Amino acid sequence: MKNELDVYRSRDGLSQGELAEAVGVSRQTINAIERERYDPSLELAFKLAAQFDCTVEALFDPALDDSA
Amino acid sequence: MTTAESPTSDWLSKRQTYRHLMFGSVFGGVAVGLVLRFLDYPVVGEAVYWVGALAFFAVWKLSDVQLMDERDWELERRASLSALQIVGAVLVVSASASRLLTYLTEYTVPAFVWGALYGYIGLFIAFGLSYLWHRTRL
Repeated sequence: MKNELDVYRSRDGLSQGELAEAVGVSRQTINAIERERYDPSLELAFKLAAQFDCTVEALFDPALDDSA
Repeated sequence: MTTAESPTSDWLSKRQTYRHLMFGSVFGGVAVGLVLRFLDYPVVGEAVYWVGALAFFAVWKLSDVQLMDERDWELERRASLSALQIVGAVLVVSASASRLLTYLTEYTVPAFVWGALYGYIGLFIAFGLSYLWHRTRL
């Protein structure tokens, strides 16, 4: 799924590992989401949105996904 | 900024350490057990095997960090599906070929082949029962 995770992460100056620790997953999971190879669960999507103080829709855009 | 619940700063390294310990225990136990059996110490080899297996469960259940995250579970789900598909294909082809060989030729299919095929059938029965159990809960 298309997402702006790397944009928000860069905005806040976080590494993938730091973001991973903050939301309780592995760095590989954050990397897979950013590379659009893995779609997070609703729970993780909301945790990420809470971390960046934005909405889930601001982070993830399923409408831009060709396979949607 | 809203801050999500923050685990300890060394959470990721602890997770990696415990995962290495967990999988190292079971694979190490199996490997050392095999070597000891080969060196004619079968009972000691069996003991090492069990120590490795129990260490695996101990680390898994008693560690204070989450060792698997949702991507790990998704990887397991996909790997399980792929493995079942491969085993299913092997079972369909091998079972038919074994029956045909028995019916049409003098060749006797070795007992271990039938054992393996019945093992595969047992695997699919276990999968079906597990599926039905989960279906009642989801």
